[in-house]
Amino acid sequence: MRSLIIAALAALALPGAGHAAEGTRVQVTGEIIDTWCYYSGVMGSPDAVVGSAHHTCALWCSAGGIPVGLLAEDGTVYMVLKVEDDAQAAGGDTLLRLAAHTVEADGMLYERDGLNYLVVSDVVSDQDITNVNHNDYGNVPSFSIPDPNK
Amino acid sequence: MKHLIAILAMAASPLAAQDFSEGSEARSWNLYAEVPAKFDAEVVDVLCTLTGDCPDDCGAGKRQLGLVRAADGVLVLPMKNSQPAFTGAAVELAPFCGQQVTVDGLMLDDPELGANNVYLLQTIQAAGADKIKANKWTKNWAKEHPEAKGKGPWFRRDPRIKEIIATEGYLGLGLEEDATFIAENF
Repeated sequence: MRSLIIAALAALALPGAGHAAEGTRVQVTGEIIDTWCYYSGVMGSPDAVVGSAHHTCALWCSAGGIPVGLLAEDGTVYMVLKVEDDAQAAGGDTLLRLAAHTVEADGMLYERDGLNYLVVSDVVSDQDITNVNHNDYGNVPSFSIPDPNK
Repeated sequence: MKHLIAILAMAASPLAAQDFSEGSEARSWNLYAEVPAKFDAEVVDVLCTLTGDCPDDCGAGKRQLGLVRAADGVLVLPMKNSQPAFTGAAVELAPFCGQQVTVDGLMLDDPELGANNVYLLQTIQAAGADKIKANKWTKNWAKEHPEAKGKGPWFRRDPRIKEIIATEGYLGLGLEEDATFIAENF
């Protein structure tokens, strides 16, 4: 009984702020996205806030320090915390340059509280923008390209 | 056994789904998945928390910062500050890294899309201090970019964004593709 109680209480122990988690090595291919627009719906449906349609807004959000995600082919979103030597995931140059690009990433996955966090050790390939969707959705948001007539 | 069940039930209660909307004064953004949430938390460097890679300054606002909620230990990821200007929350939270704070804002809750424990931060209150608005990002940007002073929002003037658009275009597919799209749509 004592061991049962100890095991049960141990299982309920809250994860502390300073406890490093166990990571899993993964290889993921997907698009570098702006997670705020993707999750919030503020600019449109998930299909509209990715790719070439949303490239400029993805630059704005990345430079603005909004978390950048990697949207995998199966729909899983990975929050990117570091790319190779660049840990500046809040507005850093590396992720800004990759906005809307499809990349193949090798790194460590950390799952916590319903989110997937990715530490990319190697961008195996950068395929540039492969999701050419502006003919379907226009530019999203519509003011992302200044009106040349104004 | 009854005592054990009672103890486990009490211990497990913080882990059950909780309503953090009580006392929240968060302003609605009319987002389909928004839920007001005010809670106590420790501000943490997410990369440090997960991997043990921990600089003294928590990345000085350049790393993503998280909120470890006091009530249940859940790591909440603040994605946005309170400005409607494509701006994140790390700069707002950086002065409080390692501290206990009370935050108010909006959770986004759409598990089907993967939006779990993500947050729009509106106010921060450290112990014994006044509550402040999480709206310092644009002033911080202006200090870092005096060369970009001018009219219009920051994202039209940011040197890095302008450089990428100048070479890759608004659509990211090159200037020729931009020209075709603009001619057909404006």
